[in-house]
Amino acid sequence: MKMKKIIAVLMAVLMIAACFAGCGKTSNNDNATVTDMQYVKDKGVLVVGITDFKPMDYQDADGNWIGFDADLAKEFAKYIGVDIKFVEIDWDNKVMELDGKTIDCVWNGMTLRDEVKNSMACSVPYCTNAQVIVVPADKAEQYKTPEACKDLQFAVEAGSAGKDEAEANGFKYTEVKDQATALQEVASGTCDAAIIDLLMAGAMIGEGTGYKNLTYTVSLNSESYGVGFRKGSDLVEQFNTFFAEKVANGDVQKIAETYGVQEALVK
Amino acid sequence: MLSFSEQLPIVFNSLNVGFLQTLKLFLVTLAGSIPLGLIISFGSMSRFKPISAFSKTLVWVVRGTPLMIQLLIVYYFPGLVLHNPIWGGDESGRFFAAAVAFILNYACYFSEIYRGGIQGVPLGQQEAGQVLGLSKTQIFFKITLLQMIKRIVPPMSNEIITLVKDTSLARIIALQEIIWAGQSFMKGSQGISGQIWPLFFTGVYYLVFSGILTVLFNKVEKKLDYFKT
Amino acid sequence: MALLEVKNICKSFGKTEVLKGIDFSIEKGEALSIIGSSGSGKTTLLRCLNFLETSDSGTITVDGEILFDGAENIKLSDDKIRKNRLNFGLVFQNFNLFPQYTVLKNLTLAPTLLKKGDSATIEAKAKEIIKKVGLEDKVDFYPCQLSGGQQQRVAIARALMLSPKILCFDEPTSALDPELTGEVLRVIRELKDENTTMIIVTHEMNFAKNVSDKVIFMADGVIEEMGPPEQIFDNPQSKRLQEFLYSSLNK
Repeated sequence: MKMKKIIAVLMAVLMIAACFAGCGKTSNNDNATVTDMQYVKDKGVLVVGITDFKPMDYQDADGNWIGFDADLAKEFAKYIGVDIKFVEIDWDNKVMELDGKTIDCVWNGMTLRDEVKNSMACSVPYCTNAQVIVVPADKAEQYKTPEACKDLQFAVEAGSAGKDEAEANGFKYTEVKDQATALQEVASGTCDAAIIDLLMAGAMIGEGTGYKNLTYTVSLNSESYGVGFRKGSDLVEQFNTFFAEKVANGDVQKIAETYGVQEALVK
Repeated sequence: MLSFSEQLPIVFNSLNVGFLQTLKLFLVTLAGSIPLGLIISFGSMSRFKPISAFSKTLVWVVRGTPLMIQLLIVYYFPGLVLHNPIWGGDESGRFFAAAVAFILNYACYFSEIYRGGIQGVPLGQQEAGQVLGLSKTQIFFKITLLQMIKRIVPPMSNEIITLVKDTSLARIIALQEIIWAGQSFMKGSQGISGQIWPLFFTGVYYLVFSGILTVLFNKVEKKLDYFKT
Repeated sequence: MALLEVKNICKSFGKTEVLKGIDFSIEKGEALSIIGSSGSGKTTLLRCLNFLETSDSGTITVDGEILFDGAENIKLSDDKIRKNRLNFGLVFQNFNLFPQYTVLKNLTLAPTLLKKGDSATIEAKAKEIIKKVGLEDKVDFYPCQLSGGQQQRVAIARALMLSPKILCFDEPTSALDPELTGEVLRVIRELKDENTTMIIVTHEMNFAKNVSDKVIFMADGVIEEMGPPEQIFDNPQSKRLQEFLYSSLNK
């Protein structure tokens, strides 16, 4: 009997604790009164959600995050006067990460598509990019136009701009986890071709990369990259002003040249 | 492009770091869920209706939904719905959230194994203790417990080896465990990209680790072989 | 004054009335046998005395102390039940030895946990009792290494460790092969010779006749007939007892 009582009390405590954890915290941090800018300033740190995506965000030999996006993000944090922290996220969960406040922005060569624009507050475009068709180099001659690629089996990243292009062109495609997997599909021959970002393609395929037998041929629709903030966030305005200033004084150009993306810049 | 021999130390270093995270999650989950499972199993067996109903519902919900969903809910729910991101965005927050989800999930599975184990010990054992004037606590710890342990070692070892592999689900909330580490070399990381072998190689880590566990569990089983229930 | 006095014990499980008012008493040093067909309530009566079941009504008095009074209608506390149980020892049909402990530890476990003395005293007592049941060479064996008869002798020894006022046996030889019953019955008889107060539920009619001072024949939850063994076995009064004895002789 005694043991049962102890357990009864334990369970009761657990339940009450669960309630407190739930109810107690709903009242804190009410968004209605604090702007997102203020929220980040109060925390003193801007948490940037990224993936390992060369040349936008990647780690140097010491494990520090560098890249065009990473360096620009550091400048932006300095501009609004907070520290910066990079957090690797699962790209599929970026909106949940933002809304759940586990990150404050998505800054990772993000294509400004409808899905993104509807679920986030997006900045002005800062880079333009295209989707390109990647095929094995020895077959590149046969696939110079979208029409020539009609019968190929494509690999595209789930929910990516590449997938939209595959759909728009009526290609047969398989959705895979990310762009790297799409390349892997082509390299291993399980798919005939992939559609990925031009920036990504420039960095990851061809001579001197892990995929030296792949090349890109057709360029599909061009698109823009932007930074995503929480819906309704006033950080968007901050970024737009910041970006305009930094373009004007040449800082952006300098960073872009460091990482070889100057051609893609929106000026 | 780095040569294979140049890639090796980078990849192994990265996989080791990831595996350490896997191992940490595994150990923390065990440390939490083994005792919590016992509490839940007592709850399910309680004659006090609200407690047994609560425990049984908990077990039903947790066993009836995918662990992946539970991970997403535990990690994102506080921030999304309660507007209070209690876990924070960094690696340690993700680890804590993952640990909470795993502990709860595995405690529920363990609780059912315990329940089977406790109820499998013949009632006569309890009665023998009772007529000797022992208290319920004494009966549980001195008589029932070891017999229960003997009964649950095989199903527990099964579940624990499943846990080793289940830890990989934590990457859904971007916990950088070993599979995440292996996958990063496909996309490109630390100057290595388009490499699929590191991902496949993580299987060797799992295999070796579960092999060690299997040997350990066999030892425990052998050790309890001296008596028959 | 009788050592044990039982009055009007009733017990139902749901709608089934298992005991319908049992009255009897035994004196110190007496051996009481309870016989009757299966389902007559013998085992339930024994379990009520050992507080494994709680009677619905009636009183149980040991040595003048009222352990249970159904009229008071109070749920006994766990501590009270534990104290009450110590007046009785119970030897089960299935022995119920603790499989993970050696013979010695089976004997010493309860006295040690109940702090009935220092470990040396308890161990000395255990060795003395185990010798009495003839198993002094088996103290370090585990139950699974013993025969059924040996296990039951250990179970008797275990019950004796707490020196209960009344030792109860619930069909102590029913689970044994016929050739193993002798060794167990011999131990019980020796206990009788030492004037141990005992209640024995049994199917062994010859044994009951030889060892008991008093025999109860139960049928359908009531005591159908009670008396000295000579009366019960040689001169049964009720028709049901006559039928019962006839059928058990012809088994």
